[in-house]
Amino acid sequence: MTVAPEIRRALVVEDDVDIRGLLVQILKREGFEVTEAATAREGLRLARAGADLITLDLNLPDGDGVEICREVRTFSDAYILMITARTDEIERLTGLETGADEYISKPFSPRELVARINSLFRRQSHQSAVDVANADERQRAAEVQQNLLPRDRLVLDDFELAGRFRPSRSVGGDFYDWYPTPDGLHFTVADAMGKGMGAALVAATVRAIMRSVASQPSLETAFATAARATEADLDHTSSFVTLFHGRLDAASGVVGYVDAGHGLALHVAADGTVTRLPSAGPPVGAWPDQVWPAATLRLEPGDSLAIVSDGLLDIYETVDQFTEAVAGVVSAAAGAEEACAVLLGLADVPEVADDVTVVILRHARG
Amino acid sequence: MEFTVQDKGHYTEVAANGRLNMVAAPKLRKVVDEVVNGGGKRIVVNLADTSFMDSSGLGALIGCLKLARQSGGDLRIAAVQPQVTMVLELTSMNRVLTPHATAGEAFGND
Repeated sequence: MTVAPEIRRALVVEDDVDIRGLLVQILKREGFEVTEAATAREGLRLARAGADLITLDLNLPDGDGVEICREVRTFSDAYILMITARTDEIERLTGLETGADEYISKPFSPRELVARINSLFRRQSHQSAVDVANADERQRAAEVQQNLLPRDRLVLDDFELAGRFRPSRSVGGDFYDWYPTPDGLHFTVADAMGKGMGAALVAATVRAIMRSVASQPSLETAFATAARATEADLDHTSSFVTLFHGRLDAASGVVGYVDAGHGLALHVAADGTVTRLPSAGPPVGAWPDQVWPAATLRLEPGDSLAIVSDGLLDIYETVDQFTEAVAGVVSAAAGAEEACAVLLGLADVPEVADDVTVVILRHARG
Repeated sequence: MEFTVQDKGHYTEVAANGRLNMVAAPKLRKVVDEVVNGGGKRIVVNLADTSFMDSSGLGALIGCLKLARQSGGDLRIAAVQPQVTMVLELTSMNRVLTPHATAGEAFGND
């Protein structure tokens, strides 16, 4: 990565006209665009206008350099080089939280000054290069994770399917997935323990494992096989994942499903009544030797199945309140897409600190 | 989150005060690890003052239970508050980590 050369702006705050002139001259020779101030008041005004480096005299006629330095720090990240009249002042100042980055005492040689300034900017350019590289990597990871979500809209004659995922950080431990099958579709909503990059790696692994059992005709066998493989991967990380995996037979409207520790799947009937589907067992990887029995439900015309991750739960006192609220949104919405968008909107508050995922499968009205 | 460890004679009580989340989870593991290494077999995690637990906190409790069982002991939870009860029920983990009303009752009949 290369950083484009930028014009560096310096501000010289110094009441002694000769020293000020010398500082300006040195900094200009180093390629800085220089502004100058003879008083603290003028210095603060110019600092607000923007600077990358500020040389600040400790003893100004209208103010204490330490106070000015702290004031500048409240609005500026500029490098501050404080200039003192005596060497022994530096020792006193370094013990204070002045906010200055470097100190130099008068008289100073131009060479010494330039060396101090270059050292400050080397520190900065190294740190900002690391920051940029990290941010870049997080951005790529977020893109990869978004691309692992199903991109294609599944078109089924009588069913509408929609999903949304919003990580609490760049990436998250939630995911949803779906793909078509000869009889209908398979879908998964999962939530790996924790947040951030570690949880996202677990989520990506679980997604791949769940897809690998798609051709197994028995739902329970498929889930058990995937769970064993997942447990083996999770064993060393002391992590677990909650999973809701469903298979829709489009002709009958019957959904076979397994819920491993998720517990937040809601069957919202056409008349608005809602049933929460209890989980069949603990999350995968949480406890050894578990079996997760499959269950079924029939989606009649107008019915929806809404699977939500626990991120949204954070804004409700009880699961019952959450259930009523989600059912209300699903019933009022014109379709699955709209319901997903509204639910994600509800989660767009500071109380929600976790990843949020919503998947809605809706049987269109006949 | 703060943890207080107390030897209660026939069990060791670990009281957890605050929010059991991603930040507190490793601390709980460390505290229980020390109790187990010190020879503690029966551990009760008192959750009377734990107002919130997330998935990382649940993971820590599970990890501590495994640790206690591996060393031939056991870990139980007591005085569980509503939000923590909710997490345990949703995840069906109440089948493994069954809440007891008070720390004293957790190993009451054993």
